[in-house]
Amino acid sequence: MMVTLMDIAVLIKQSLDVQELRVDQDTGKIYIEEAPTKAGDIDLNAAEEAVRIKEKVGGKATAIMLSTWGASGKRLKEAKEALKRVLAMGLDDAVLIMGEEGQKADTYVVAKTLAEVIRDNYQLVLAAEGSDDNFSGLLPARIAAELDWPFIAYATALELEGEYVKVTRSLEDYEETVRVKLPAVIAVTQEINKPRVPKLMDIVKAGKKPLDQRDFTPPSEPKIAIRELKVPKVERKNVIIEGDVEEAAEKLLQALKEEGAL
Amino acid sequence: MRVLAYGDVLDLALELVAAGREISDNVVLLVAGDQEEKIQGLKGPNEVLLCKDVKSDDQESLVELITSIAQDFDAILLPNDRRGRELVGVIAHKIGGSSTTDVSSLRLENGVLVIERITLGGKAIAVEELSLPAVMTIQKGRFKPLEDIEPEVREIQAPKIERRIEVLEKKEKPRVGVPLDKAEIVVAVGRGFKKKEDLKLAYELAEILGGVVGATRPLAADLKWMEEEVWIGISGVRVAPKVLVVVGASGQQQFSAGIMDSKIVVAVNNDSSAPIFEHADYGVVMDLYQFLPALIKKLKEAKGA
Ligand SMILES: Cc1cc2nc3c(=O)[nH]c(=O)nc-3n(C[C@H](O)[C@H](O)[C@H](O)COP(=O)(O)OP(=O)(O)OC[C@H]3O[C@@H](n4cnc5c(N)ncnc54)[C@H](O)[C@@H]3O)c2cc1C
Repeated sequence: MMVTLMDIAVLIKQSLDVQELRVDQDTGKIYIEEAPTKAGDIDLNAAEEAVRIKEKVGGKATAIMLSTWGASGKRLKEAKEALKRVLAMGLDDAVLIMGEEGQKADTYVVAKTLAEVIRDNYQLVLAAEGSDDNFSGLLPARIAAELDWPFIAYATALELEGEYVKVTRSLEDYEETVRVKLPAVIAVTQEINKPRVPKLMDIVKAGKKPLDQRDFTPPSEPKIAIRELKVPKVERKNVIIEGDVEEAAEKLLQALKEEGAL
Repeated sequence: MRVLAYGDVLDLALELVAAGREISDNVVLLVAGDQEEKIQGLKGPNEVLLCKDVKSDDQESLVELITSIAQDFDAILLPNDRRGRELVGVIAHKIGGSSTTDVSSLRLENGVLVIERITLGGKAIAVEELSLPAVMTIQKGRFKPLEDIEPEVREIQAPKIERRIEVLEKKEKPRVGVPLDKAEIVVAVGRGFKKKEDLKLAYELAEILGGVVGATRPLAADLKWMEEEVWIGISGVRVAPKVLVVVGASGQQQFSAGIMDSKIVVAVNNDSSAPIFEHADYGVVMDLYQFLPALIKKLKEAKGA
């Protein structure tokens, strides 16, 4: 079989760590500033898949991130940390496009920007099925459309065959194995692989890998405006039932009966 | 305002029609050829466009078909399933439209299309203004199908396409048809279960309570101990039962976003710091292998009495 050298772009999002994000139901305040950011969980699956392809057929893989969290201070440091993490996994270099804090950019604008970075330089784009913090999955689809490359989402297995890539995608009703000619954009699921945990040496080496930081100039106006973020009201009692196993079972049943739930 | 609705599953598509009616009194339903027989007696949309030469499992043709008729519409509504989500971004970009996913409400305010959707892993609701044309996926179960209008059916032709995606193999997924989103009682299981066989504890509990069993994503999608259709969360099914018993699941935000509408949440987890307790009304900090048998025994006794 013919072996092609691949240049792969892996999309990494600087995602809010939603687990750490605090919200106040009473005041409706969402403590976004205070919450840390990180590389999206499924972005790591995309990075892992790129490293595996590289190990098989050679080539180069670049992490690409566009961040509008602010080009200074804590957020810049976190963006670099997130990139360092995937570099430590085995990606070769990184492009970081840094915008001003709160700069207006939706998936339309970001896709237009990233497509220009990708066009002519890569044959394969790997991304996550969705990000940790917004989970829309729109960006890779839009990049594919902008580049006029085929788009396949929900990949659970990937195999390069010369200038083709064979992808298994998991839809609701079917699992489909499809083949497309490169270049292509593929969004992977969390199940496609287990991202490797970098060793200390890899982390040290990652710090020396090239990181090309650029300024973000939006190519157009966004098509979406976020008017407001509201905190959904969910009232929970948060009662911890004490006692030994028997007592706890009894108390729980009692509580459910009182609620009229049984 | 003209709205186009398309869904690979016709029942879902009728929910989309109802969603469309929130912003327009002219909602057109696109139906793929393999669903033709189901349009007999169908009610809700103002018009049905039937395209006999495209099948509902042919994503590539659907992109071209929908794009080719998009200029007649201000908004295109798709289901928030994986097929819909694969289409939405590509179609939106091709027609130069705005796009969003998982929409739970939509309205027009002085001619501006405003939608709401869950974001930040379920911790916030985003209120978004979309420019037109807008392409979006609609959350399942939010809109009740309408039964008012009997639509005219008009046949349309699919554009010729140059295929780039070749389907080599298709495997149907096992489906059991558990009505998780409509169930009154749900037992949700997570990786706290050590073996697949141990899930019988959960099934037994569900049976006594008259409920069904759902799972976390890793249990269904990764370990494959259960059918994928039963995974609960932001990337799976949203549940809204009267009672939800979560057993051996950590309650990570992406799971917990799918249980917000439950009336009463019970959590069983042997780690008192597990985030699921923040999302629970009643928490039991115990080994599930000890607690579930005791609970099942008590329930049986109560029933016998
Ligand atoms: C973008 C994105 C989307 C996602 N979508 C979803 C989704 O829709 N649904 C979903 O579920 N996940 C989703 N995930 C994954 C999610 O983040 C968590 O990884 C997952 O929910 C954890 O599953 P779990 O609770 O079964 O496993 P774990 O997190 O491993 O938790 C197991 C729990 O069992 C407890 N336990 C262990 N032994 C016992 C015992 N003997 N008795 C009692 N308790 C015990 C442990 O204390 C632990 O809390 C998504 C992730 C991402 C990044």
